[in-house]
Amino acid sequence: MENKSALIAPVAITASSTLSVCGLGNEALYQGILRDKSPLKPLALFNVRLKTLVGEITHPLLSVRSELAEYDSRNSRVALTALEGELRVAIESAKTKYGAQRIGVVIGTSTSGLYETETAYAELLATDKMPNGFDFVKQHAYQATARFLQLELGLSGICFAISTACSSGAKAIAAGQRLIDNDLCDAVLVGGVDTLCRLTLRGFSSLNLVSENQCTPMDKNRQGINIGEAAGLLLLERSHANNAGAIKVLAVGESSDAYHMSTPHPEGEGAALAMRNALDLAGLHVGDIDYLNLHATATRINDQVESRAVYRVFSDSLPCSATKGITGHTLGAAGALETIIATLALKEQFIPGTVGLSEQDEECQCQLIQSSISDKPLKRAMSNSFGFGGNNASVIVSV
Amino acid sequence: MKKLFIKSSAICCSDNALLVPFNLSSCDIDKSLIPANMRRRTSVTTRMAITAASLACQQANANVENIASVFASLGGEIQVTDALCRLLVDEHELLSPTQFHNSVHNTTAGYWSILNHCQAPATAIAAADDTFAMGLIEAWSQLQQHQGEQLLVCYDECWPQYLAPPLGKVAFACAFVLSTDSAQSLAEITVPSLANTAINLDKTWQAVAQSAPAATAIPLLQALQNKSLGQIVLNINSPIWVTERIA
Repeated sequence: MENKSALIAPVAITASSTLSVCGLGNEALYQGILRDKSPLKPLALFNVRLKTLVGEITHPLLSVRSELAEYDSRNSRVALTALEGELRVAIESAKTKYGAQRIGVVIGTSTSGLYETETAYAELLATDKMPNGFDFVKQHAYQATARFLQLELGLSGICFAISTACSSGAKAIAAGQRLIDNDLCDAVLVGGVDTLCRLTLRGFSSLNLVSENQCTPMDKNRQGINIGEAAGLLLLERSHANNAGAIKVLAVGESSDAYHMSTPHPEGEGAALAMRNALDLAGLHVGDIDYLNLHATATRINDQVESRAVYRVFSDSLPCSATKGITGHTLGAAGALETIIATLALKEQFIPGTVGLSEQDEECQCQLIQSSISDKPLKRAMSNSFGFGGNNASVIVSV
Repeated sequence: MKKLFIKSSAICCSDNALLVPFNLSSCDIDKSLIPANMRRRTSVTTRMAITAASLACQQANANVENIASVFASLGGEIQVTDALCRLLVDEHELLSPTQFHNSVHNTTAGYWSILNHCQAPATAIAAADDTFAMGLIEAWSQLQQHQGEQLLVCYDECWPQYLAPPLGKVAFACAFVLSTDSAQSLAEITVPSLANTAINLDKTWQAVAQSAPAATAIPLLQALQNKSLGQIVLNINSPIWVTERIA
């Protein structure tokens, strides 16, 4: 076998945190996965004439402090709540070590603070005016949550949002790794934050992609997605002896389908290219990956196409699973949330099960893990994320 | 030193008179660059961004089938989003599936890749007042990794004036082909950094950029036009990001 060398330096994940339907923190997420049971429920946040289940955050959200009130949105509150604890401590310590200007913030999101804007439009249509306190740039625009986190943490360097629909969170990790590799930052807070809103529920419903019942990724009777909301945040730092124990991001492979805005390439060309690019950047062979967290949204086409792409790259030798039956599809946060799930698989040495799966679709030829197992050592894992616009990203993490 | 070469630039702006004080010229949306079925499905902002991107790639003789791209915009598909938000107020309204997938921030990036059969990575970023500066940083950062050519497009269309006036009064799109290679380059610039001294901003430009967020790129476009060396300001609100034209 040819010798491959990595084309980008690994970065250490020195801290990470999640907030999702499973609760606050990675331990809650881990326990949620181990339960092998779906926590998805009918929507409570707002009214929608749509029968479905969602992954709604029920953990109490922290309030945005008054100095930053202009940035207040559900998205900001979810991000703020996820930050509390070890992650905030790690960022504070990085700040002391590197200085506020050398810590970047790159956050993926698909709808940012749109939920508040939707509410504001009710007043706009009734009164011809936006409500007092409405601030489009600070609440709704894509960078609002990234900027809020930067201000909340007292950072002052590079800060932007990546918004490429459902690959946003994974691509934020890619951007963060590059900023460190190219020495523009010493640490980067990356991740994805997306919250439930009317547009995504009714929009995916207009495409007939929303399931009335519990979603069943890769199942022969799958009927579509359950939408979720989440924050997945990771602090990336240059990999060195002091953080040798941390799980690392080896590489993120990116690609475009160049096929259709909302339907993936039928043979999964773009998806396969993203996985291959990730392997090439990391200097790895297909046999080096021990577990793949699939994008697997549970729509008919997406799952079939992804499994074709996985088969093209890995044949049927790689254990795979889908975790959207637990978290729901958290859209712009999914790439970050599921990368963190892949790190949990490495840390806890287990493969998460595919909640919702009862009978694997014969057309989905991948080695699907149905219930969580720990049967062999895991060194490296991959997480796939694919979005509208044919936008693909595959993240590889390693012990 | 961290630097990059600029091989070409192009502007597509809804108001040509706006550019006269800067000695810059722009073009209108070029229909010949976008097939009719795609024209029907795309917004003004996407057509403007694709026009600028296509012209910049033509000038640089770039391989559009294999160029990585960064699409930087504050509001992205704001007109599509506005129309959808109006419908969402009524629980009974049905959304158009096309409008829904056309509301994502990477809509332009998606259509660009489809138009050119380009499977190279395409990204869409936003950073409020710093959108152009951050776009340049992300483009440079990607360039370091693949060492080829890189497309950067910065654009924003006209916005409804109840959202964030006067932002979005004028639609403006510009595009650059960047490279790590000096061959046939127009200029060499340093990677953006935070200014360490106080800077006096050009008032005419400041006023334009307050109503057209993507017009924060004007000083760089001007420096390319005038072949002038030295510091170039990349945003209008503090903290100020700058680059330096060194060749």
